[in-house]
Amino acid sequence: MTFLKAQGLSKSFGGVRAVQNVSIAVPENSIFALIGPNGAGKSTVLNLLSGIYQPDAGDLIFKDTDLIGLAAHQRVRLGIARTFQKIRLFKQLTLLENVLAGFHIHQDAPFWKYLVYGNAGRFREEARELLDFVGLASHASARAGALPYGQQRMLEIARALATRPRLFMLDEPAAGLNGSEVDFLLDRLTRIGGRGVTLVVVEHNMDLVMSVAHRVFVMDHGEPLFEGTPRDVQANPRVIEAYLGGEFAS
Amino acid sequence: MRVRIVSVLIAILVVAALPWLLQTPYWRGILVLCAMNVLLALSLNLVLGYTGQLNLGQSAFFAIGAYVSTILIKSYGWSFWLAALAAVGGAGLLGLALAAFAVRLRGHYLAIASLGFAVITYQVLINWENVTQGVRGIYGILPPVRSTIGLFYLVAGIAVLVYVLMDNLVRSPIGETLRAIREDEVSAASLGINGAVWKAFAFGVGAAIAGLAGCFYPGFVGTLVPEAFNIVESFTMLAMVIVGGMGTMIGPVIGAIVLTFLPEVLRDFGEFRLMIYGLALTLVVLFMPGGIVQAWRALTGRR
Amino acid sequence: MTDLLALFVQQSVNGVYLGCLYVMVALGLTLIYGVLNQINFAHADFVTVGAFAALFTATRFATKVLGLPDTGAYLLSMVAALGTGALLGLAVNAAVFAPLRERGDELRPLIATIGVSVIIENGQLWLFGPIPYQFDSPFSRETIRVGRIFFSMQSALVVAVSAAAIAALYAFMKFTFLGKALRAVAQDRETAGLMGINPNLLIAITIVIASALAGVAGALLGPVLVLTPFAGASVIVKAFAIVIIGGFGNMQGTIIAGLLVGIIEAFTVQYLGSGLIDLVVFVLLLVMLVVRPTGLIAERKEENV
Repeated sequence: MTFLKAQGLSKSFGGVRAVQNVSIAVPENSIFALIGPNGAGKSTVLNLLSGIYQPDAGDLIFKDTDLIGLAAHQRVRLGIARTFQKIRLFKQLTLLENVLAGFHIHQDAPFWKYLVYGNAGRFREEARELLDFVGLASHASARAGALPYGQQRMLEIARALATRPRLFMLDEPAAGLNGSEVDFLLDRLTRIGGRGVTLVVVEHNMDLVMSVAHRVFVMDHGEPLFEGTPRDVQANPRVIEAYLGGEFAS
Repeated sequence: MRVRIVSVLIAILVVAALPWLLQTPYWRGILVLCAMNVLLALSLNLVLGYTGQLNLGQSAFFAIGAYVSTILIKSYGWSFWLAALAAVGGAGLLGLALAAFAVRLRGHYLAIASLGFAVITYQVLINWENVTQGVRGIYGILPPVRSTIGLFYLVAGIAVLVYVLMDNLVRSPIGETLRAIREDEVSAASLGINGAVWKAFAFGVGAAIAGLAGCFYPGFVGTLVPEAFNIVESFTMLAMVIVGGMGTMIGPVIGAIVLTFLPEVLRDFGEFRLMIYGLALTLVVLFMPGGIVQAWRALTGRR
Repeated sequence: MTDLLALFVQQSVNGVYLGCLYVMVALGLTLIYGVLNQINFAHADFVTVGAFAALFTATRFATKVLGLPDTGAYLLSMVAALGTGALLGLAVNAAVFAPLRERGDELRPLIATIGVSVIIENGQLWLFGPIPYQFDSPFSRETIRVGRIFFSMQSALVVAVSAAAIAALYAFMKFTFLGKALRAVAQDRETAGLMGINPNLLIAITIVIASALAGVAGALLGPVLVLTPFAGASVIVKAFAIVIIGGFGNMQGTIIAGLLVGIIEAFTVQYLGSGLIDLVVFVLLLVMLVVRPTGLIAERKEENV
């Protein structure tokens, strides 16, 4: 049983084919990279996997569950988490509050208990641990919107981890990060993978993911182009041409 | 926790003392109106301030509360509290109906849909004359408690109770959920939050509270005409929430109190009531979007 | 011509006439939304102000002070209404839209314009009182008859003026440089700015044009509406309905939708009574929002997540 299996996924928007016949098989406990030049449809695939869009055609199965028809919030309860290309934090809330928001699916108190008194205490410890993991423990009470960009990205990762996912998908997590921030990111991703979480990383910068990915899936113009190990991908002439010819990846 | 209990006790004492500070029937009547406005402002704040849904149709639920309870009492002989229960339930259900739109629509579209909702309700009240008497109105409505002071204590007591319960709610994980939806719905969904369910919750509860306020209105005024539930009432509630401080608990209360008393205090300008609301709303949105609460915090140096 | 057919055509004619008026109001709204992604809630109140401006210009100023004949007075009043609308638009842009633009908050300008609407309506109430004003245009007395169909000169004037205004606007947007620049700003403000177009200036121009349109609509609507300070309230929600049915920011859609709503109103008045117009239109609005929130003629775009 493949951990995450997508078969023949297709999605169009108003006549434009964003994704066409994409099939992916993600093995458990691996780090799986989804790359391609700008406009290749990678983010759309991620949105299909996480439930923001429903595919026009194709199958999608996670462990034993059919994901087709499930809304995004329902998939989270199955253990699927994600981050966004455009950072979507709760900017007005503090870092701690942002991470605590991620623990919501684990809350199970009955409704009337909240009317009498709320119980925010249970997950504080774990939330602080997550903040520490991404190097933000000292800023727990700061407003999320006040953080520099690179740290906002890490906060988003901490928050998504709060949902205790088994499958964690990241959409261009390295975009806008400087050299040392990227190194830190890659290190954290490796550690997350080491804890038994399967990772799917969308990136359009090839070199970035090569050092951590076990398997790489290349897309171009919405269609699958090539799949293999990082070394195979780097050597493949069609992949190189896709990046250098046509749209230029920055 | 102790601070909150003490604050509630102080509030109860103040409420109890008010009718003795303002002794004329006119001012006691204003107190009743103020208590109702506090309830209305709190109801809108749950939907707008905490869940971030621009609902311009809250006047519809106020109207439903008033009409359903009055009709049940006058035409079918129900007791006040039974009729109020039914009216609150009806308003809540209608709130869920509006929530169905909120789930599919965002921002401007929702604002207009909710406005259309309120207009439709208003038009139904005017045109369905067999049931509502239309513009002729319903007369001779008695309040559940005969004396003005008693009515004030009743409505204000309910307002305090609603405040305390809602305060607990917004401090709980439910409040965090609503705030997450307000801040970024897509993001909230990626954390497992079901936006549709919680929006329905906020709209339903908000509508029910507005309906509750509506139950006391006809008895207080004595007559019931659709004109009292014009969409301008929605704007009045909006002004109270925003001028007071959207997204805080005490803000709408302050806004309701200020906007109820201000036109009365400037006695000669009583007829400018609506204009004052409009002016206050515009100025606050432009210059102090956090309302009076924001001004207070800026003055006292808190976050 | 049979009775039924004649009635049908008559109502259609009435509908077109109403529709043209609504289109003039709705076009302004949709134009503003197109460049700014904001709704001016006070837009219909500009119509009312325009109507009052026209009324007083025609009855007090033009005839008494300038001694113009009735028709001349009315035409002058339309110009006055246009100017008034334009000024109001300028004022609201400077006070509300421009200062709030930087923050990028979607809903604050809408709420601010709600406040402005309340201010304008109640300001007029204070100035003019609640009793409806009689606004007779010199054209409303004369009727033209084509076969069994009647319409007043006023309606002919309305259709003529609005058709001219719409055509002019359309040509302006499509063929002139300024018009193209406006469309550029509507599509992508930032990039337009990078190309040397001053978006703020263009937005201001758009709002002025839209508000001027509203003002003229007021001069034309004056003789038709019950002219009270709150006339705007009854028009605004219909205008919203039209803009939503036609699609926010979509000019062609708005025109079609406006004519449609006008025709629906004419037939509703005839067969269901005037009390139910608002109800019918708004139920239609809600249905539209459920079925096709982006409007009759719209493309589904990918939401940028």
